[in-house]
Amino acid sequence: MVGPLRQGVTGKVWRRAFGSPIIILFVLPLVVSLLFALGAAFDLSAWQLLWAHPQLWPALGLSIFTGLMSVLLSASLAIIIVAGLYLSGWWPRLSFPIGAMLAMPHVALAIGLSFLIMPSGFLARSVALFSGWTTPPNWITNHDPYGLSLIAALVLKETPFLMWILISILNRQDVRDNFNGQRAVGLSLGHTMTSIWQRLYLPQIVPKLVWPLFVVFAYAATVVDMALVIGPTQPPTLATLVWADINDSQVLNNARGAAGAWLLTVAIAIVALGVWGLANVIFSRREWLTVGPAPRALIKVFFFARLKFSSLISVYLIITVLLVILSFAALWPFPNLWPEILSISAWSRVGLDPSAFFTSGVLAVSTTVTAFALVIAWMETQPQMRDKYVTLLSATALGVPAIVLALGQYRAFLQLGLTGSTFGLFLAHLLPVTAYMFIVLVGPYRSFDSRWQASASGLLASFPRFFWAIKLPLLKAPLLAASAIGFAVSFGQYVPAQLISAGRYSTLPMEAVTLTSGTNRPLTAAFTLLLMVPPLLVFMAAAHFGKSRWSKL
Amino acid sequence: MSLVLEKISAYLGDTRIFESLSLTIEPGEIVTVMGASGSGKTTLLAAIAGDLPTPFYAVGKVILNGHDMSKVRPEQRRIGRLFQDDLLFPHLTVGENLLFGVERGPKAMRTMQMKEALQRIDLVGLENRAPHTLSGGQRSRVALMRALLAKPDAMLLDEPFSKLDRALRATIRDYTYAHLQERKIPTLLVTHDFEDVPKAGRVIHV
Amino acid sequence: MINRRSLLSFAAVSLLPNMAFAADWSAVEAEAKGQEVYFNAWAGADNINAYIAWAGEQVKARFGVTLNHIKITDTAEVVKRVRDEVKAGKADGSVDLVWINGENFRVMKTEKLLFGPFAAALPNFAFVDTVGKPTTLQDFTETVDGLESPWGMAQFTFFGDGAKISSPPKSMIELAAFAKANPGRVTYPAPPDFHGTTFLKQALVEATSDRSIFAKPIDKEAFAAAAKPWLAFLDELRPSLWREGKQYPKSQAEITQMVADGELLIGLTFNPNEPANLVAAGTLPKTTIAWQHAAGTIGNSHFVAIPTNAKAKAGAQVVANFLLSAEAQARKNDLKIWGDPTVLDVTKLSGDDAKQFANLPAPGSVIFPAPAMLEPHGSFVPLIEAIWLDHYGKG
Repeated sequence: MVGPLRQGVTGKVWRRAFGSPIIILFVLPLVVSLLFALGAAFDLSAWQLLWAHPQLWPALGLSIFTGLMSVLLSASLAIIIVAGLYLSGWWPRLSFPIGAMLAMPHVALAIGLSFLIMPSGFLARSVALFSGWTTPPNWITNHDPYGLSLIAALVLKETPFLMWILISILNRQDVRDNFNGQRAVGLSLGHTMTSIWQRLYLPQIVPKLVWPLFVVFAYAATVVDMALVIGPTQPPTLATLVWADINDSQVLNNARGAAGAWLLTVAIAIVALGVWGLANVIFSRREWLTVGPAPRALIKVFFFARLKFSSLISVYLIITVLLVILSFAALWPFPNLWPEILSISAWSRVGLDPSAFFTSGVLAVSTTVTAFALVIAWMETQPQMRDKYVTLLSATALGVPAIVLALGQYRAFLQLGLTGSTFGLFLAHLLPVTAYMFIVLVGPYRSFDSRWQASASGLLASFPRFFWAIKLPLLKAPLLAASAIGFAVSFGQYVPAQLISAGRYSTLPMEAVTLTSGTNRPLTAAFTLLLMVPPLLVFMAAAHFGKSRWSKL
Repeated sequence: MSLVLEKISAYLGDTRIFESLSLTIEPGEIVTVMGASGSGKTTLLAAIAGDLPTPFYAVGKVILNGHDMSKVRPEQRRIGRLFQDDLLFPHLTVGENLLFGVERGPKAMRTMQMKEALQRIDLVGLENRAPHTLSGGQRSRVALMRALLAKPDAMLLDEPFSKLDRALRATIRDYTYAHLQERKIPTLLVTHDFEDVPKAGRVIHV
Repeated sequence: MINRRSLLSFAAVSLLPNMAFAADWSAVEAEAKGQEVYFNAWAGADNINAYIAWAGEQVKARFGVTLNHIKITDTAEVVKRVRDEVKAGKADGSVDLVWINGENFRVMKTEKLLFGPFAAALPNFAFVDTVGKPTTLQDFTETVDGLESPWGMAQFTFFGDGAKISSPPKSMIELAAFAKANPGRVTYPAPPDFHGTTFLKQALVEATSDRSIFAKPIDKEAFAAAAKPWLAFLDELRPSLWREGKQYPKSQAEITQMVADGELLIGLTFNPNEPANLVAAGTLPKTTIAWQHAAGTIGNSHFVAIPTNAKAKAGAQVVANFLLSAEAQARKNDLKIWGDPTVLDVTKLSGDDAKQFANLPAPGSVIFPAPAMLEPHGSFVPLIEAIWLDHYGKG
């Protein structure tokens, strides 16, 4: 009898139903939010009000400037450091410090950095030690008019992210094998390592970096919480202007804010396209690729990579130590390098009301677990060809400015009665968590060698046994890393939490941003540390448990 | 032109891989190193080329044309290599791959060398093709020519024919040896296939 | 001789409404029991948060009302949220009680987003000093109409370290001179921050000779004419401000912190007792002094209001009433707790209650008090903010 041959698991119709949870909890809310956000763009009077705003153009310029500068600088720095450390003795141990830096929430870094650089900050106090200042200098550091301190904070935060992307590309087995071979050939043809990076590695890596670079650019140009803490004030960046408008008491200003958010989005898209086009024109002149081996490296671009990387880590460490001291510093008048009075009052206040910490923790754990289940259920039951739709939506969720998405989400959830509800808050956090986890996992999960399953079947292992005993252990490292990222993303969410919680729930980032507008520095520092520590612990746990059982360390 | 190896020993941690290997390869001579998998053939080549990966280390001397190369950076040794895989750079065209190793100089000169090389391997007009559109035999020839265009003082061949099918294998092999001997390049070949050993060539077992 | 009938009629006049009141109020209290009240209040100051937490414990113990302090940075967010919820037809709103005054109140009142009138029906409202403190009935020239219940008093006050300031500037003209002598050490928050706008209003009032214009609505043209001396003053002040007046701090709290760090010399506040409170908390040095401009500074009251779609209206009223109690007002008035002046008429209180209000002179107290001036009409605010943004908002 001739019949169809048995197909793989994804071929079974009933299994396809397991793709629906991700559609209900992620795809639908996302699409609806995007539609509502789009709906906010069609209000002529709002646009007229926006054009009339005296700060509009300088603010837009600042947003684009800070966004572009931070993406260019962090990309260059990440490439230089990664290239310099590639296959060096530090290479196998890089993921730990980078994970730790990734775990620090954006707003925590901004708060810590401003404590470091502001005129009464630690840097000025160190100078005062020699210069004898008794009052803080007239430095224009934090809140500087050109957004340079905001750019610095963004570069510090995005460089580890881009390094992490680069390293995960370079550590892929196929890339590693190809690049090893290409290096040997390149060297044998007389090229230096610098030349090999410039002419062989980068032209192959950069195309893979386009989307991460865009996400970094869009993030940097639209960031609200960091800009509030450390960014320029008059004019501010457009994102903070829009944020103030969205939260204003006047209806007209709310509409103007929505229009401003769209203007910013369009401007980002145009600038990104422009830069991309420009880069294509520059790199289409291919002569420089084959100019031939230079007798020696003309520019030592990758010089001192260890020093650069150590400096980056040092800034993070200094900020952390500074925050710890500050959280105990009841009185710390200006030129002193050490507080006059130490007290635990900030921490006891934190202990008295741990509800925000608890809310953020529960949200982070529940959204990470849910997103994990959603993504695995999808990967296990859906054909790979459908991935592209979810990948595209996830990329959209990360590429569309957070204020636009949050605005649409707020409007949609308001109609559905979800604002101020536990479920609404949960969904608002689940959205970015799922997007990140899907993008991080789709590669490792889909490139999982199908011959493993074939050989397991040959050994009479059932699918569940194969899944638990072979597949999950083999994918342990990427799964744990993705979960740690999910946790950190949820734990650091500010914009959607602020809008959707309707004040009913207070999360840690909301408390921290609120406190920076007040005068209690020890409490601000304590909350910032609270914001940092759980993601850090989760990253450390993921790194520890993600190690292969054969690794010695 | 000659390649002299003096008392080369290689180790992986405390484990010795091979010890005190000495050898002189005359201009145009092709010496074959044979040995089972894991006997350290590839380690030897990497040691000569100067890019031994970190857990390994080697001692001894590599002398090329009378110059001690032991401490010289790999890209300055002028030692060409061919591998099992052709390793054509996937993001460059065939022509660009060939140009990659050509000395700096006037563009027209370099292009001429590239075209001449294509002619010699019967691939005229294919300079703008992507490497993956070529057949296996064509790719091997491009890889060989790319290595030769860099004007190496010595060549290391790491089982370069093992992935080719039988019909192609003999042709490419003869072709490669002919080019190397014509240019008087001292060559060290690593293989585990007796067929690869050139006629009357010396064979060393490790 | 007082006859029986007149005595009775006196009783009827004075007691009966109170009795009806009492009956209604006990119904409110009964309904409130077990309710959760979401109190949306600015939360940038730790001592205020602690005070609200204390009030929460009290209403829980006494009336069975759970008070949740929703910590917000800007009351405008709450106005917007209530409006959005009402528009979306959400009857059980997320806000039960909001700390409010001024522009936000005017907007909520005009858009009919407030529940009430309820204030006059609160038993403790009887002790409010509506005569001596007219701003308890008139919020930034907008009549309150019982739609919000007074909570505290405010008067624009400056402060600084007496060890660094020999004679504090007691007018805007003197302030400009002070800034010129100490460049980069004086500033004000950028409007629409509440304190920033008030600083600009204070400067406007001081720069204007005919102050009768502030009682009435004003249009753009009239304002443009009236604002000339004011703008001239601001232009003169600007170059000697912090960062040459190109950047401004976001909030009053940020300025206070910079004063504490020594980066700025003069801070400003709406609570005359805040400097003393901050001295007690150790944030400001003991040599701190506070003062008001000799010709008077802008004063107002702050209130609590209940949105029309509040879920726990009864609970919210119980909380509002408790906040007006002598005990709660006295604690709020205490320099060591918060130091926010009371809205009550202390002479109406019993002797023991009244005694709790005495604050001993403390370091940081106002040494040069001045009379309170009424806020300019609400129509000035958007015009002040717009013209400021146009002149100084572009860096």
